[in-house]
Amino acid sequence: MSKNISALSGRKGIDDGLFEKMGQLTEPEGFLTKEAAQQLADEYLIGDASVYGAGTFYDFTRPENKGKKVYVCNGTACMCAGTQDSLRKELGRHFKAEEIGEMCCLGRCHENSAFYYDGHNYSGKDAVHKLFGNGQAATAHEDQYNFASSGAGILSAAGYSIGQCKEIVRQVLDTPAEKLLEEIKASGLRGRGGAGFPIGIKLEGCRKAKGAPKFIVCNADEGDPGSYSDRWVLEQRPYAMLLGMLIAGYAAGAERGVVYLRYEYPESIQTNNEALSSLRNAGLLGNDILGSGFSFEIKVVKARGAYICGEETALLSSLEGQRPEVRVRPPYPVEYGLFGKPTVVNNVETLANLPWILTEGGEAFAAIGRDRSTGTKLLSLDSAFNKPGVYEVDMGTPLRQVVNELGGGFRKAVKALHIGGPLGGLVPVSKIDDLTVDFESFAKNGFLLGHASIVSVPENYPMVVYLEHLFAFTAHESCGKCFPCRIGSVRGMELLQKAQREDFKIDRQLFDDLLYTLKSGSLCALGGGMPLPVYNALEYFGEELKGYFEG
Amino acid sequence: MLTKSTTATSTATLTNTALINGQPFAIQPGETILQFIRRYKGEKYVPTLCDAPNLDPFGSCRVCSVEVGRMGNGAQLKTVASCHTPVEEGMMIYTDSPSVQRLRRNIVELVLTDHPLDCLTCEVNGNCELQDVAAKVGIRKVRYPKGEVHTDREKDLSHPYMTADLSKCIMCYRCVRACDEVQGQFVLGVSGRGFDNKIIMGLDGNFLESDCVSCGACSQACPTSAIHDVYQSKADFGQGKVRTTCTYCGVGCQLEVSVKGDQIYSIRAPYNAEVNQGHTCLKGRYAFRFYNHPDRLKYPMIRKNGKLERASWDEAYDYIAERLTAIKDKYGPDAIAGISSARTTNEENYLMQKMIRAVIGTNNIDGCARVCHSPTAIGMQRTFGTGAATNSIEDLKYTDCILVIGANPTAAHPVTGAKIKQKAMKGTSMIVIDPRRTEMAKYAKHHLQLRPGTNVAVLDMMMYYIISEGLYDADFVNNRTEGFEDFKKGVLNINLDELERVSGVPREEVRAAAITYATANAAMCFHGLGVTEHYQGTYAVMLIADLAMLTGNVGKRGCGVNPLRGQNNVQGMADMGVQPYQGAGYLPVEDPEIIKKYEQFYGRPMPTKSGFTIPQMYNAALDGKLKALWLTGEDVVQSDPNTARVIKALQAMDLLVVQEIFETETTKYAHVVLPGASFLEKEGTFTNGERRIQRVQKVVEPVGESKPDGQIYVEMMNRLGYEQPPYSAKTALEEIRQIVPFFAGVKWEELGDNGKQWPVKPDGTGTEVLHTESFKLGKGRLLFEDFVETKEILDHQNDYPFILTTNRVLEHYNAGTMTRRTPNAELVREDILMINPVDAANNAISDGDLVRVESARGYVNVHARVTDEVKPGVLSSTFHFPEIMINLVTSDVHDTIADCPEYKVVCVRIRKVRN
Repeated sequence: MSKNISALSGRKGIDDGLFEKMGQLTEPEGFLTKEAAQQLADEYLIGDASVYGAGTFYDFTRPENKGKKVYVCNGTACMCAGTQDSLRKELGRHFKAEEIGEMCCLGRCHENSAFYYDGHNYSGKDAVHKLFGNGQAATAHEDQYNFASSGAGILSAAGYSIGQCKEIVRQVLDTPAEKLLEEIKASGLRGRGGAGFPIGIKLEGCRKAKGAPKFIVCNADEGDPGSYSDRWVLEQRPYAMLLGMLIAGYAAGAERGVVYLRYEYPESIQTNNEALSSLRNAGLLGNDILGSGFSFEIKVVKARGAYICGEETALLSSLEGQRPEVRVRPPYPVEYGLFGKPTVVNNVETLANLPWILTEGGEAFAAIGRDRSTGTKLLSLDSAFNKPGVYEVDMGTPLRQVVNELGGGFRKAVKALHIGGPLGGLVPVSKIDDLTVDFESFAKNGFLLGHASIVSVPENYPMVVYLEHLFAFTAHESCGKCFPCRIGSVRGMELLQKAQREDFKIDRQLFDDLLYTLKSGSLCALGGGMPLPVYNALEYFGEELKGYFEG
Repeated sequence: MLTKSTTATSTATLTNTALINGQPFAIQPGETILQFIRRYKGEKYVPTLCDAPNLDPFGSCRVCSVEVGRMGNGAQLKTVASCHTPVEEGMMIYTDSPSVQRLRRNIVELVLTDHPLDCLTCEVNGNCELQDVAAKVGIRKVRYPKGEVHTDREKDLSHPYMTADLSKCIMCYRCVRACDEVQGQFVLGVSGRGFDNKIIMGLDGNFLESDCVSCGACSQACPTSAIHDVYQSKADFGQGKVRTTCTYCGVGCQLEVSVKGDQIYSIRAPYNAEVNQGHTCLKGRYAFRFYNHPDRLKYPMIRKNGKLERASWDEAYDYIAERLTAIKDKYGPDAIAGISSARTTNEENYLMQKMIRAVIGTNNIDGCARVCHSPTAIGMQRTFGTGAATNSIEDLKYTDCILVIGANPTAAHPVTGAKIKQKAMKGTSMIVIDPRRTEMAKYAKHHLQLRPGTNVAVLDMMMYYIISEGLYDADFVNNRTEGFEDFKKGVLNINLDELERVSGVPREEVRAAAITYATANAAMCFHGLGVTEHYQGTYAVMLIADLAMLTGNVGKRGCGVNPLRGQNNVQGMADMGVQPYQGAGYLPVEDPEIIKKYEQFYGRPMPTKSGFTIPQMYNAALDGKLKALWLTGEDVVQSDPNTARVIKALQAMDLLVVQEIFETETTKYAHVVLPGASFLEKEGTFTNGERRIQRVQKVVEPVGESKPDGQIYVEMMNRLGYEQPPYSAKTALEEIRQIVPFFAGVKWEELGDNGKQWPVKPDGTGTEVLHTESFKLGKGRLLFEDFVETKEILDHQNDYPFILTTNRVLEHYNAGTMTRRTPNAELVREDILMINPVDAANNAISDGDLVRVESARGYVNVHARVTDEVKPGVLSSTFHFPEIMINLVTSDVHDTIADCPEYKVVCVRIRKVRN
């Protein structure tokens, strides 16, 4: 992280953002050309290397992306479903090999066979045929999945009309910011992105921090393969999230909101831009909202393909046009965030809860859930379930209920559930009964609630292949800043590959040293978190894996 | 798992304390665990790879990890990187627990899986941080099977100085961070992602193609030899290290020179240097090879039959003594003059002026400050009483507004320039007043791009707005200054319309800048030769002082008037009395009391009238009044204006002694040439632009028969019958401190690594900020001057419609005698004329075309660079190369007070040279 680039990029601010401009300049060629990098470097008074280097980082701006026309989802759910080889073959009839790229998780985990083409996502068995078959014009993409809630159903109910939005905004403006902040703190709402940090503390920290303007950044870079609950919020409850940002801004004394939204969700981008227009047209965003003196404006910034941008400091560096490499803490974003200004970064689902807290009160929210896990939680279930989809449950709901009742049980034999993304725990089906959907239960049992996506590992899916995939994923997505993650992820992948392909057995001590190094040495949760599912696999699937290890 | 007991340390009395391996130590607010540990346990106690003394914590290598726990919660230990984790009260830190050792060992093992293991043939073998850390953590074996590696990357040997061998890179980013955080150049970056991350130069090219300014910060920062330099500055040849002070500009960087026998290997910047904190520029770091260049003058020469022929020192001294005596007998002492050198030490300057004054008997002593900062000395003396920077460079830490007038510090004062740039990039308001869109101007909040020669107009306008809008500091004005009412009257009477027209800067821009400056808590001004080398140079300096006083920006941290001194020892040269009207310590030479004081001290009768300035010397020579000139370390033919006239003046001399390290354009006219020693071959002190007296230490013996300038003066003084003890820096300083009041406490052995800033009290205490309580004059004098157009414009504008101004480039130092004899000449090979695209188009000139630039004095041909760095109507050129001799066109107009030539405004016409 360069303080200088933060400040220089900040001179132009978010409205004339370096990152956004870089992305736009990339679109004609599919990558950031040297000429374009130089042009931006001159304009922003930074180095050619700074801009060009940033361009080479992202999946969709780096030189390797040149000429790609269609992207096959390589996310974990599609991988476990085993649909992508045939999809690739089918796409091969319409595209040259070099035109077919990969994208990591389009959030179509409910039916798989997912791919991205020309600004839209497609999934399901017949999608390619429907799109390119018979020389007919492309049909509208289909995107059907289940949604249901059990319990309080906070987000289920948050499908506001623009009229309701106006009432909410009016209520915000009628509430003193300190009071609102107290309500949010009283709710006990914790971040839904994975870390579970109380949002009230962040908002308060930002409010107290010196510097202007202050920012509310919505982390809509739902990168965990297998998760699509944020996509549901973004596409089905956009007002709840956007108003959540406004509420957060009001409470934290911020006047700018930024939604950092992943490239892989083109429909979400469109939905949110439309929702922003509606809010603006209704006078609910902009200067002096409803004559209150409070100003707040939100902008959607399209991400360019990097899992690490789900890490908040990497996300901030990304927004500044720097390479999205994880920053050291302290300073924390509430003090030194976007462009070096006080910033609160929160996840989509977290923010979407705020309107409910505003209208119903912090205590009412805190009454839902269990212990320090208040409120509800969204879970996304993949296609191994009979009823794949997104479900909202009260915190503390037995996992068994989600699997069997909401999800309708498995449609095929499953040996483990990978819950909470690639850095979440690998829960053997035998442990399902022990868990309830809340932070504490998962942690106590040696797993992680995380973002609460559920990817099912089929009975016949070799665990060693799954572990190789986890290392490969980390190696692909590591920002490369810290030594353990940059090198360790690759060495772990190589060990597992060698053990499968050659007469080679992995030294258990070495493997344990590697996992230990990643876990306790990494700078962020990517390197630090990826050993968890590996440890789980070694514990619960040791028998299956022992042939790959010495002794 | 470790289970550390807290019983031994669980006491409630440990406030402000944390424990290192069970032992309590006091913590300091804001420090990291690593800083805390280092303070007590030494620099290398905790191994790290990505940490560097002059860079922000980065947290990439994780080798500095330690385990921490909280008191009362003893068993709960957490692993954290010590470099970016703040130490907290009650923290229990374990630096070497088995799990920490395991972690470190495993990280370094991972690094070694992608690093060539051919240490024995590596440039930095024995001085490699990776090697040290690997040894320290105890790696015996790399257990991983061979996997993907990056050890086959090609070397980059494109650049005259910088080298890269990224197969040895460990991706600690220290080079990238140094380029950003220290130099602010952003040449280095990283491409790719994860394991494929790679250091890149510019657009993934090589060093030479990039915008690299060759400061070498990256090379010094790199822990291996991945980024290095052609001198292999990190290699261990069993050299010794000598610390000295750089010769290349007024910043005064401390250098650490690697030397073995008579060979200098390389130069690094010491991290503990207060002036430069581990940084320096390509001149200081790399341009040292002039010292043993074959062209060095190695023996005295006397002109015989029109040719300079080798002579012994005795012959040379006898020749000079004989001629000087004859001239003095025939024409009197005032027919003799000396020009001392700002490149030589304080002691040498002192001795030179003493020789001219006390031994020859004339005040005809002057130095190159005449042609650069003499207006600063006079202007600041008239307003404050002291002709020196009011503040220290350190004050940049405390300022919230930086005003840069007529200076291009990123080229001419690179380390200070980099510091200013760092502040400006991070958002400190900066105002640049300069005809060129300099690098600084790009980062500035306000750039007042005035027509050359109109500083006074713009400064007056600024003060007009400050006074008329009531933004001045009434308390400061009332308590610390005098003359405000007259001053105010003058300022409010200016003709805004006229000044706006002549300067070409819209009044609203001036007003906005004035408000920024006046409303800052502490506004710090830097000025350079773009202020002084003008018809109204001294007045402009006075107005800058006025501006500072008017807004209360004197006498506290983070403000002041800070001239950026051109040559390394311009400040010291003036301090030592190298000017015709003031002796050592700025004592006025016509004051009978002072004359008496000097006579007592020197034991000789002293001259009673002020002597000639350099321009007056030329006039006197052409008038037949000046017959002999002793000139040290100054190529006046190349660097003084109106070359043709300078040559005529030199040719009119009966005796021209030139003391130099190389033959120059000037030695062509010398009767005697004496070989001086370079700064690497002698001892003494230089005084930098912030009044800091720093030691120069001998690194190697003088080449050939050359001698330190001080020794030459002493020998000559003795030869002329004056008993002066043999030269040593210590002896000379001892004499100086007895006559120069502000050197009273300066002792050679007490100057230490970082010197002292004058005034140095008898007890040895230096001074960082001047005028904190009162001015030397008591109250500061607010003195108004209105704008007056220069004679050059009035006389020549019609026939010569363009204005040529001169500038310097980073790579070369003034007349280039030293830098042109280093690989710097490969980086910049010639002088270039900057011309605006509009003017270029109107005159059918393209980039690279040869252009004839002609003034009323003469013409030169120079290659054009078409750039919007200059406005239409304005041209700018450097003056480093004798092949061009840009001073053939510069004028005879001088500052009306200080006699400093007006290099910065030259009326010229241009045309493209055919073929």
